[in-house]
Amino acid sequence: MNLKKLPNSIFYFLTFLSAVGLVVLTVGLVVTLAVESRPAFQRFGFFRFLLSTDWNYTDQIYGALRPLTGTVLATLGAAVLAVPVALGISVFLTELCPHKLKSPIAVAIELLAAIPSIIYGLWGLFVLAPFVETYIQPFFSGTLGGLPWAGGFFQVRLAGGLNLLTASMVLAVMILPFVASLAREGFDQVPEVLKESAYGLGATRWETILAVVWPTAQKAVVGGIIMATGRALGETMAVAYVIGNRHGALDSIFSPYVTITSVIANEFNEAGPIQMSALFALTLALFLANLLVLSLARYLMRQK
Amino acid sequence: MSHEPAEAELKDLITIEELCFFFGDNQVLKNINMPIRDKSITSLIGPSGCGKTTLLRCFNRMHDLYPNNHYEGRIRMENRNILDKGQDLIWLRSRLGMVFQKPTPFPMSIYDNIAYGLKLKKITNRSIVRDLVEKALRQANLWTEVKDRLKESALGLSGGQQQRLSIARSLAVNPLVLLFDEATSALDPISSAKIEEMMVELKKDVTMVVVTHNMQQAARISDYTALMYLGSLVEYGETNDIFTRPKMKMTEQYVAGHFG
Repeated sequence: MNLKKLPNSIFYFLTFLSAVGLVVLTVGLVVTLAVESRPAFQRFGFFRFLLSTDWNYTDQIYGALRPLTGTVLATLGAAVLAVPVALGISVFLTELCPHKLKSPIAVAIELLAAIPSIIYGLWGLFVLAPFVETYIQPFFSGTLGGLPWAGGFFQVRLAGGLNLLTASMVLAVMILPFVASLAREGFDQVPEVLKESAYGLGATRWETILAVVWPTAQKAVVGGIIMATGRALGETMAVAYVIGNRHGALDSIFSPYVTITSVIANEFNEAGPIQMSALFALTLALFLANLLVLSLARYLMRQK
Repeated sequence: MSHEPAEAELKDLITIEELCFFFGDNQVLKNINMPIRDKSITSLIGPSGCGKTTLLRCFNRMHDLYPNNHYEGRIRMENRNILDKGQDLIWLRSRLGMVFQKPTPFPMSIYDNIAYGLKLKKITNRSIVRDLVEKALRQANLWTEVKDRLKESALGLSGGQQQRLSIARSLAVNPLVLLFDEATSALDPISSAKIEEMMVELKKDVTMVVVTHNMQQAARISDYTALMYLGSLVEYGETNDIFTRPKMKMTEQYVAGHFG
């Protein structure tokens, strides 16, 4: 073997090993999840487990429907709250912002992303939840709560302000920087010359954004939004603090509820064998949900 | 040089007076004085970095989209100085169309691309819009190629067609001037020739200012030529004079291909 080429080969081997190592790790993770969740699936049946609302410690019967819907709804709620704000931020930063303000705002957003999730959890517990209890809950139950059929969805179920809406609000703040920066990346891909030709026709900024910037960036921006929102699916500590952790009916946006991660965080330490397996099965479901969301986002972002 | 010198002097549509332009502290245009004559083609030539594109982008104040630059001097058009601080840029840009090096079809149908400028001018009457779209596409020699697929996305056209579409889009709003920034340099020779042919035909309707790297193109299509070097205007004159009997030594060397 040529000695001169040796460093090259070593370098190649090392990088190759790192890349393959990551794949092995992921495969190992999936295999572990599958093996560990098998007892639960065998005991309750695959679809029965996914579609059952049971979470009964005494009879040792577990179903995934509540944590699953909790995860999906808390994430959707966060998206509904965060996406409009994030879109506003990203359009402002790419198209409207005076150049001097650009980097201070960008840094502020990045800093928001650097705050540990436990801090958001504590903030949610001590600041946001009392706020929701004192102001938001009475407001909604006093107004929308009086509606004939849908009113129940806005009535208060339990005092304390720890519920699905509070969890969505905390999640919204947490994903905001990611949604904003990925949406901004989408907008940044619009070629300068395309905007210039709209301005060159006498279009205003707003007209340029509507006719050229948004249609061109659309798919990349939506893909970025989905990818960033996907982070909310697996968010654990902050949600576990504020969602109320009750395996009960979800009949109001103010119901205390559960998500996959909050259940895992709360019950993993003291779980019996079959409960443990059910927790692994939940994790597997979360993993698959994440995979789905990521694939969708990547597909959209690759579209031209 | 097939070009005939203009018989009578055309009137000046635009006059550039003592124009200086700065990116930050860096002066990139130095005391430019020249006219743009009505219903003619004026070429701006010169080596890369000489400031010809910068000058072109002064006419429609494109520089104003970016920070840290400023103009000095005047560009007179229709009894006003378009470099005035209070100049309405939306109005100005709808009077001076611009065509870029790369075609810039908007992500919408062929028809909507052309109608877009009309929509901005609040021209919405359907039959008027339809007529103006057809007229612009005919002017840009694109009508016969696209008349059966006006509703299709403009992104599906070939590069040359997209460039003629961009030109048609600018023509639809009936501009006073069309600014071409190396508009054929990214195209194949046949597409490029079609556009040159169209430009010569367009002269009866619109004044054109053309930035080009291609000296043969400047010689073929333009009535007047300006040679720029390092931000200054070296020589301006009728195209024939610039190419056959230049006054300046530098012009002679440049058109002979000695530098650039």
